[in-house]
Amino acid sequence: MQKDERANHDVPDKDDFLLVESVLAGERRAFEPLVRRHERRVFRVTLAILGNVEDAEEAMQDTFVKAFRHLDQFRKESRFTTWLTRIAINEAIQKRNTRKNFVPLEQAENAEKNFTPRRYEPWKSNPEQLYGKQEIHRFVEEAIQSLPEIYREAFVLRDVEELSAEEAAAALEISVPALKSRLLRARLMMREALAEKFEEPPTLKTKIVHTALDAGTAVAMRLMRAAGR
Amino acid sequence: MKTMDCKDVLANLSSYTDGEGSDELRQALEEHISRCRRCRVVFDTTGTMLKIVTDAEPFDVPLSVSARLYARLEKVLSEG
Repeated sequence: MQKDERANHDVPDKDDFLLVESVLAGERRAFEPLVRRHERRVFRVTLAILGNVEDAEEAMQDTFVKAFRHLDQFRKESRFTTWLTRIAINEAIQKRNTRKNFVPLEQAENAEKNFTPRRYEPWKSNPEQLYGKQEIHRFVEEAIQSLPEIYREAFVLRDVEELSAEEAAAALEISVPALKSRLLRARLMMREALAEKFEEPPTLKTKIVHTALDAGTAVAMRLMRAAGR
Repeated sequence: MKTMDCKDVLANLSSYTDGEGSDELRQALEEHISRCRRCRVVFDTTGTMLKIVTDAEPFDVPLSVSARLYARLEKVLSEG
């Protein structure tokens, strides 16, 4: 293997290509390591869209079965992971659309239209010293799960799976501006959801000062002067 | 230079974080957050939130879910 940086950077995709070639050449067992490499990503994507483990599991299984059966349709101009992610998104969306409790997108979008931040305290600078890794992991998962569907999927595809805005929009079959507007709200909601765990508890004095600065009223100004004494 | 209010800043927060937008827009946003505490907090903590999420690598595949996946694939792979 070459040692220059580009070659190193390309290794994961190259490995995918080699495994795909082996499967197509008749070595079916080579599909297993491909699954191992990507099961987590596929699970995250299906869970993001479907919101519960049972449905996500089914969509994940269907994704890999479909990928195996249609592997000859994979073109090497794209990354294997992009191709697979797209299948996963399709499977999950199809499944979601057949669900009884499915809320049509427009309705869901309108419900959250006027989202504005409510918490304005800075966050502590050392979260990893305050909580264990497992704990932070759980906070993050709970926060993501608390997002409404359309925001959750935008957030996971962009900020967890790191798809480009164009890739994520195409996969979800929405416009890029729509994706971006959902992502913005999703990020603000995530910030709000995690604030309780990570923000600096305000002292009474800063609370009063900030109220005064934010409100800018004469009463608040007097409070501020009182706090300063 | 163009000036921004808090609403503009909020609307452009995501684009700024993703390195998009014209220089003029980015400068106007920076200028606003340098003098507005609330927007500065929202901006900074959104960045911190994104870092926490990335570091946390959320959602492992539960072992039982993974086991059932391989069991199903085993059947598919051994089909003729």
